[in-house]
Amino acid sequence: MSTANKKNMSFLIDMTKCTGCRGCQVACKQWNQMEAEKTEFFSGEGYENPPAMSEYTLTRIKFRDFEKNGQNEFAFYKEMCMHCNEPACASVCPVGAFKKTKEGPVVYDDKLCIGCRFCMVACPFNVPKYEWSKALPLVKKCTGCHDRVIEGIKPACATTCPTAISYGPRDEMLRKAERRLAAHPDRYVNHVYGKEEAGGTNVLYLTSLPFDELGFKRVTMRPLPGYTWQALRLVPGIFLTVGGGLSALSWINHRKDRIRAEQQNKTTQEPDTTESSAAEEEGK
Amino acid sequence: MATVKKVFSEIRGYHPFIKFLMTMVALAVIASGFRFVFGLGATTNLNDVYPWGLWIAFDVVTAVPLAAGAFTLGAIVHCFHIKKLEPLVRPAIVTGFLGYSLVTVGLVLDLGQPQRGWHVLTNWNVHSPMFEVSVCVMAYTTVLFLEFLSPVCEKFGLHLPLRFLRWLEMPLVVAAAAISTLHQSTLGTFFLIAVNKLHGLWYTPLLPLLFWISAISAGLAIIIIEATSSHKWLGYANESELLRILSRILPWTLGLYLAVRVWSLLFFSEGPYFDRPGLSLLFCLELLAFLIPFVMFTQKRVRTNDRRRAIAAILVIVGLVLNRFNVSLMGMMDPNQIYYPSIIETTVTLGIIAAHILFFVLIAKYFPIFEHHPETVDYSIPDHVEKVKSAKQAG
Amino acid sequence: MTNHWIDIQHADVILAIGSNPAENHPISFKYVEKAMDRGAKLISVDPRFTRTSSKADTYCQLRPGTDIAFMGGLINYLLENDHIQREYVVSYTNAPFLVDDAYDFNEGIFTGYDEGSFSYDKKDWRYQQDDAGMPLRDETLTHPRSVYQLMKKHYERYTPEMVCDITGSAIQDYMEVARQLASTATRDRVATIMYAMGTTQHTTGTQNVRSYAMLQLLLGNVGLAGGGINALRGESNVQGSTDYAILYHILPGYLKVPTYQNESLAAYNEKWTPKTNDPKSANWWSNTPKYITSLLKAYWGEKATAENDYCYDYLPKRSGNYSFIPLMQRLQDGGFEGMMLLGTNPVVGGPDSGAIVEGLGKLKWLIAADLWETETSIFWKRPGVDPKTIDTEVFLLPAAASVEKEGSISNSGRWSQWRYKAVEPPGDAMSDAYMVSELFHRLKALYEKDGGAFPAPILDLAWDYGTGHEPDIDLVARECNGRFTRDAVVKGKSFRAGDQVPNFTFLQNDGSTMSGNWLYCGSYTEGGNLAMRRNAEDPTGMGMHHKWSWCWPLNRRVLYNRASVDMDGKPWNPKKPVISWNGATRKWEGDIPDGGWPPMNEGDKTKNPFIMIAEGYGRLFASGLADGPFPEHYEPMESPTHNLMSPQQCNPAVVTPGKLGDADKYPYVGTTYRLSEHWQAGAMTRNLPWLAELVPDMFVEIGERLAKWKEIEHGDLVTISSERGRIQARALVTTRIRPLRINGKLVEQVGVPWHFGYAGLVTGDSANVLTTAVGCANTTIPEYKAFLCNIEKGGKDA
Ligand SMILES: Nc1nc2c(c(=O)[nH]1)N[C@H]1C(S)=C(S)[C@@H](COP(=O)(O)OP(=O)(O)OC[C@H]3O[C@@H](n4cnc5c(=O)[nH]c(N)nc54)[C@H](O)[C@@H]3O)O[C@H]1N2
Ligand SMILES: Nc1nc2c(c(=O)[nH]1)N[C@H]1C(S)=C(S)[C@@H](COP(=O)(O)OP(=O)(O)OC[C@H]3O[C@@H](n4cnc5c(=O)[nH]c(N)nc54)[C@H](O)[C@@H]3O)O[C@H]1N2
Ligand code: SF4
Ligand code: SF4
Ligand code: SF4
Ligand code: SF4
Ligand code: SF4
Ligand SMILES: [Mo]
Repeated sequence: MSTANKKNMSFLIDMTKCTGCRGCQVACKQWNQMEAEKTEFFSGEGYENPPAMSEYTLTRIKFRDFEKNGQNEFAFYKEMCMHCNEPACASVCPVGAFKKTKEGPVVYDDKLCIGCRFCMVACPFNVPKYEWSKALPLVKKCTGCHDRVIEGIKPACATTCPTAISYGPRDEMLRKAERRLAAHPDRYVNHVYGKEEAGGTNVLYLTSLPFDELGFKRVTMRPLPGYTWQALRLVPGIFLTVGGGLSALSWINHRKDRIRAEQQNKTTQEPDTTESSAAEEEGK
Repeated sequence: MATVKKVFSEIRGYHPFIKFLMTMVALAVIASGFRFVFGLGATTNLNDVYPWGLWIAFDVVTAVPLAAGAFTLGAIVHCFHIKKLEPLVRPAIVTGFLGYSLVTVGLVLDLGQPQRGWHVLTNWNVHSPMFEVSVCVMAYTTVLFLEFLSPVCEKFGLHLPLRFLRWLEMPLVVAAAAISTLHQSTLGTFFLIAVNKLHGLWYTPLLPLLFWISAISAGLAIIIIEATSSHKWLGYANESELLRILSRILPWTLGLYLAVRVWSLLFFSEGPYFDRPGLSLLFCLELLAFLIPFVMFTQKRVRTNDRRRAIAAILVIVGLVLNRFNVSLMGMMDPNQIYYPSIIETTVTLGIIAAHILFFVLIAKYFPIFEHHPETVDYSIPDHVEKVKSAKQAG
Repeated sequence: MTNHWIDIQHADVILAIGSNPAENHPISFKYVEKAMDRGAKLISVDPRFTRTSSKADTYCQLRPGTDIAFMGGLINYLLENDHIQREYVVSYTNAPFLVDDAYDFNEGIFTGYDEGSFSYDKKDWRYQQDDAGMPLRDETLTHPRSVYQLMKKHYERYTPEMVCDITGSAIQDYMEVARQLASTATRDRVATIMYAMGTTQHTTGTQNVRSYAMLQLLLGNVGLAGGGINALRGESNVQGSTDYAILYHILPGYLKVPTYQNESLAAYNEKWTPKTNDPKSANWWSNTPKYITSLLKAYWGEKATAENDYCYDYLPKRSGNYSFIPLMQRLQDGGFEGMMLLGTNPVVGGPDSGAIVEGLGKLKWLIAADLWETETSIFWKRPGVDPKTIDTEVFLLPAAASVEKEGSISNSGRWSQWRYKAVEPPGDAMSDAYMVSELFHRLKALYEKDGGAFPAPILDLAWDYGTGHEPDIDLVARECNGRFTRDAVVKGKSFRAGDQVPNFTFLQNDGSTMSGNWLYCGSYTEGGNLAMRRNAEDPTGMGMHHKWSWCWPLNRRVLYNRASVDMDGKPWNPKKPVISWNGATRKWEGDIPDGGWPPMNEGDKTKNPFIMIAEGYGRLFASGLADGPFPEHYEPMESPTHNLMSPQQCNPAVVTPGKLGDADKYPYVGTTYRLSEHWQAGAMTRNLPWLAELVPDMFVEIGERLAKWKEIEHGDLVTISSERGRIQARALVTTRIRPLRINGKLVEQVGVPWHFGYAGLVTGDSANVLTTAVGCANTTIPEYKAFLCNIEKGGKDA
C-alpha cells in the first residue's frame, strides 16, 4: 500500500537460517500463556508437532524431511499470521474485530467478535483459528505481539530466535532481504515471499527451496479486500438503481392501472398484460 | 389448563406427517442444546480447516436463495404489475419469512457469540460482505414480517393496522426487492475473498451476479413447488394457471444464468478446472441441474403439465442447492481432509427444514394465506388516505 | 573451548564434527551463520543428517566411532599434499622434535604395551634430548625420527579409500571435506572445529579430540580468531563445574587430586609439577606449588600453616579410578551403603542403565536433590517393580533451580557470568549451597559431639560464608578469587592482609595468599566481582568484549593467542588480529596475550606460545595419554566389522567389559543423541508441557531400507535390543539415516535419543538400557555413541 506501510514493523524470516529449533514456537506459547496440546509421536515430517496451528498454537514450525536428487532436505518453515498490509480478515469481519494497527500487527478484539468465522474463511493463509473446545468460542491468532511492540520490544518469537528472524520497519526488512538475495544468489530462491503476496505482508520470507515445497500457500498478489470491495462498492448504486427502478416501474404501472380503471366503465377488461403475452409468445 | 388441553387435543388430531415433522423439530432443539453445552468442536465436524460447514452452507447460503420467492414474486406482481399472480404472493411471503427466520436460527447456532449479534448494528464494517448481509437480512426479515402481518391482522380482523400495512405494501415490496438483490448477490461476494481457496470451477468475480440470478430462478421454482404441493397435499386451490405464467419467466432467468455462468467460466475464471474428478463431477451435475430445467421450461408441455413443471422446478432447486454447496463447501474442500456434517449438524439442519414445512402447514392451517380476496382490497395508492380515514370514522 | 562463541564468526571453514550445534547449542549457530554470511563453509560430519547438516555446505556421513580414521585420512591428505602451514608447524608445534629410538608402532600397538593390565609403559614415548636436557629438533622436518616424519609414516596407511571403507563415508564427500580444510593451511584462512559428545563418548574419545587438535595445528589454526578447537560444553555450567572440580581426579583449577603415593605436599609437588630445561618454555604448570598451597589455605585457613604442610594431610588421597562407570559397578556389587545424588539422574543418563537401577536397590539410603521426581528418585516404584521388594530409604530434597538462586555460571568460552536470583524457590526448595552448607554444619556438630576417627578435616575447615540462612555466595566468589592472608609485597606491589589478589600471577606458595581456584584468581578483585560486568563495548572489533563478564585465565578470550602471530608478532592474518605486537610501545595489543613476552624473533627474552605445555609447543606427538602418542583407529567395543587398520580390534588401553554383543545377533550400529526439544535425562523438559508437546514419545530413527526390510512403517512401535536390554519406541523412518558401506558391506544404523524415562509428564523407554558400560581409555566417559543392536517390529511385549 502507501507510504504508511513502509514503516510497519515487519518480520524477515530467513528459512535458510532457521535451524528448526522451535524456540519461537515455545516462546510464543510462553508469552501468550497458551496451553500445551496433547500430541502423539510426530504429526508431520521430521519432528513436527502439534499437527497444526490451532486455538492453542499461534505459530508453528513445519518440517520438511525428504530426499531430492539424492540429497537430503531437512527444511523448516515458520507458520504464523502474515500481518497483511491489507488484511482480508479485517475486511470481512462484520463487526471490525480485526484491525491493522499503525505499528503493523493485525490485532483482534475479542470483545467485539460475534464468532461468524468469516475471518477464517477469508484469510488466504488460513491463520485465524477457533476455540472449538468452548461453548462460546473466540478466534485465536498470532497477535504480532502487539503488546510488546507498543512497548518498544520485539515479538517473543523474534526475540528468542537465535538465527532466522529479523524484526524492523518493512522497508528496512525488504532492503535486508534484497541484500541477502544479491549477496547469496545460490542460496536462495530469488523471491521475497510476502513482498507482494496478498498485496504485501508484514512477514517476509526467504527460502532455499521452492516455496510450495516448504508448504507456503500460493496466493494472489492483489490485496484481498479488493476482491470483495469491487462488488461491495456497487451496493449503494445497486440499491438505488433497483429501488428507484422498481418504484418508477410500479408508479408507471399503477398509473396505467388508474387510467385503465377510469376507462373501466367503457371497455371490458383485458386479461393479459402486454408482458405476459410477450412471454407466452416466446414460450411457443 | 384448559387451553393447554385444547392445544394437546388439537395436536393429537394432526396428520402423522405433521407429527413426524414436530418430532424432527424437537430433536433439532435438543441437538441445539448440545451445541451450547458442549461447544461447536464437540458437536459439529467443524474445525480450523472447515470453519464453515453444513449450517452455513445450507442454513444460510442455500436457505436464503430458497426463500427468494417472496421478493421475486412481490416485484413481479406489484412492480411489473402482473396482478394475476397475486394469489401466489402470500404463501411466498410466508415461505420467505419462515425461511429468513430460520436462517437467523441457524446463524444463532453457528455463531460463536450469538448473544453479541447486535454488535453488527453498533460496529459497522462496510467493507464486510457479512456486515452487508447481516444488515440486509435483518432489514428484510423485518420487511417480511410486516408483510406477513397482513394475514395475521386479517385473521384477527385488525383493520386499522391492516390498512396501514396495505399502505406500506408498495414501499415494502420495493425495499424487499432492493434489499434482496443486495444480499442475495452479496452471499456470492462472500466467496470472492476466497481467492486461491475456492476451486476454479466456481470462483469468478461474477459470483454475486450469478447468485442473484440463480436466487431469482430458485425463488420462482420454490413457488411452483410450494403451490403444487399445497394443492396436492394440503388441498388448497389449484393455481396451475398462475404457475404456467410463472414458469414462462424461468427459461429467461435460467437462460440468463447459464449464459453468465458459461461466460464467466470462459472469460473470468482462472483454472485449473478439471484437476479434481470429484469436483468435476459435481460441476457437471450442477450444470445439468440448471440446463435440464432450462430446456424443460422452454417447452410448453412442461409448463402446462403440473407434474413436469414441478419436476423441472425441483431440478432448479437441486441445481441451486448443489451450486451453493459447491461454492461454500465442496469447492473449498481440502483434498486431504474431507468434511462431512456430524449427526448433530445434520439433525439441526433437517430440523430446520422440518420446521419450515411444519410452520408453513400450520400457518396455512390457521391463517388466511391462501384465501385471496382481491376484490375486497383496494391497492390504489391515492385512495389509501380516504380508506384509513373512513376506517377511522367507522371505528 | 580455546576460543569462544562469538569468535566462531571469524572462521572461513567450520567443521562441526561429533556435535550437532544447531540442535544442542542453538545460540552458537548465530555465529556459525554470521560466518557463513561472510562466505564461510560449514561442514557437518555426523552419522545422521541432522538439523546442523541441513544448514551445511558439505555433509559427510561417517560411522559412529570412526573419527580417528576420518581424521587420520585428513592428516594424511595434508601431509601428502603439503597443505600445512609450515612456518607455524615448525615454530609452534613439536613436529621438528626427535623421538626416542625406542618408540615404535606395530600391528596397531605402540611400544610398551602390557596385555595383562591393558596399559602402556610410556617411558619410551619421549623426545631425544641433548646433554643439557634440551629436546633435539630438526626444523627441516626431514629427520626420520622427527615427529613430523613419524606422523607422516603413521598416517600414510590412512588412504582415502581405506578411510572410507572404515567410516562408510562417500569418497567424494570425504575429499570435499579434505579440500575445504586444506584451504585453511594458508595464513589468511582459518578453520574452526566444533566438537562435543559425538567425539568424546567413545573408548577412543580423548584421541578423537587429539586428532582434531593435530589437524588444527598442522593447518596453523590454533590461537587464531575463528580457529581453535572448540568443545561445545554441555550442561549450562559444566565448564564451571569442571573448573571447580566436579571430576574425581581434579581439584579446583585442574590441580591433580593427590594419590595415596603423594605422601607429603613436597611429594605432591614433585610428582605433579612438570619440568622443563628449555628457558623458552613458560611451563605454566610449574606454578603448581603456589596454586595448591593457596587452595589449601582457602580450605583450612588459619589452620593451614607451613609447619603442617598447609593441612595437606587433610586432603583425601585417591587410590583408584572413581569415575562414573566404576562407581556404578561398585553400586551394583553392593559396595555402597548410601548415595547422594545432587542434580543427576543416572537411571536415565548412565550407560547400561538397567544395571544401575538394579544397583540402587542395594543401597540402604539414597538422597536425591533435584527439581523434580526423577527416574532415579522413584526407582523403587518403577514400572514392573513391587515397591515392597525394595528396602532402600529414599530422601528427595527439593532443589532450587538456577533462576531461583544467585551465582556464577561459566560457559563454553570460559566466560564466568554472574546471574541473579529472579524468583524465590517454590515450597521447601533450597539451593544446593544451602544443602551442602547445612550438611557441613551438622556433620561438624556431630564430630564435635561424638568425635570420630579423623575429625580434624571437618572441624578445621574454614567455612566463612556468613551467618545467613544460606551461605553468602558473594563471599564464596571472593574466596574463589583469593585474598592475601597477611601483609605482603609481591612483584614490587604491597598488599594488606585481606586484600583481594589481583590475579594468579600474584599467588604464593608461602601461605601468604589463599585462592579457592587459581584459574578464577582475577575474577573478583578489589575492583569488584568482574563476572557481573555487562559492558558490551568492543574496542578490538573482534567480538572479544573484554568488559563483558570475566573469563579465565586473566580475561583472555582466545587461548594460545600468541600462536596467532608470526615470528615478528604480526597476526598471520592482519585482517583478523587476536593480538599484535606494537614495536613502538613494545606491548601487545588486542586480547590479553598468553604471557606478555615479546615476539619469537626476540630470542631468549621470549617464551613459546603453548604455555600450558611443558615444552611450550603444540603437541602433534603426545606422550601423556593412556593409549598412545598418536591417535590410532580402533573399532568401538561393539562393532559390526573387524578393524581394517590393524589386527588390534579395540582400544588396547581399555579393559574389555562383560555383556558384549556380536554382529550376528545385533547387526545394526546404534547411536544415541540429543534433540533441541529435550534436555538430558528429561526431567527438566519432559515435565514441561510446552516442550513435552513437541516430542511426546520415545522414538527411534531408522533408514528407509531397514524399515522396508523389517516391514516397519513410520510411527510403528518397534523393539530395539542389545546385549544389555530391550526398549520400545515409535519408528521415525527417514532418509536422513542411511546405511553405510563398510568394507564392501551395507551396515544399517539405528539412532535413538536418550531423553526418555518412566518419570514425568511424558514418558518412554531409556536408550541407555542399550548402551555399554565401557569408557574412554583416558577419561572413562562412556561409549554412548556406538553399540550394536537389533530392531524388530512391534512393542516389547509383543
Ligand atoms: N537441546 C539440548 N541441548 C543440549 C543438551 C540436551 O540434552 N538438549 N545437552 C547438553 C550436553 S550435557 C551436552 S554434553 C551437549 C552435547 O552436544 P552434542 O555432542 O552435540 O550432542 P549429541 O546429540 O549427543 O551428539 C552429537 C552428534 O554426534 C553424532 N555422533 C554420534 N557418534 C559419532 C561419532 O562417532 N563421530 C561423530 N563425528 N559424530 C557422532 C550424533 O549423531 C549426534 O548428532 O549438548 C548440550 N546441549
Ligand atoms: N546414551 C547417552 N547417555 C548420555 C549421554 C549421551 O549422549 N548418550 N550424554 C551424557 C552427558 S554428556 C551428560 S552431561 C549426562 C547428564 O546426565 P545427568 O546429569 O544425570 O542428566 P540431567 O538430566 O542433566 O540431570 C540433571 C538433574 O538436575 C536437576 N537440576 C537442575 N537444576 C538443578 C539444581 O540447581 N540443583 C539440583 N540439585 N538439581 C538440579 C534436573 O532436574 C535433572 O534431573 O548424561 C550422559 N548420558
Ligand atoms: S494472514 Fe490472515 S489473519 Fe493474518 S492479517 Fe493476513 S488475513 Fe489476517
Ligand atoms: S469470527 Fe469474529 S473476528 Fe472473525 S469475522 Fe467473525 S466477528 Fe470478525
Ligand atoms: S509475534 Fe508473538 S504471537 Fe505472533 S508468533 Fe510471534 S510470539 Fe507468537
Ligand atoms: S526460533 Fe528461529 S531458528 Fe528456531 S525454529 Fe524458530 S525461526 Fe527457526
Ligand atoms: S544455553 Fe540456553 S540459550 Fe544457550 S543455546 Fe543452550 S538453551 Fe539456548
Ligand atoms: Mo554433557
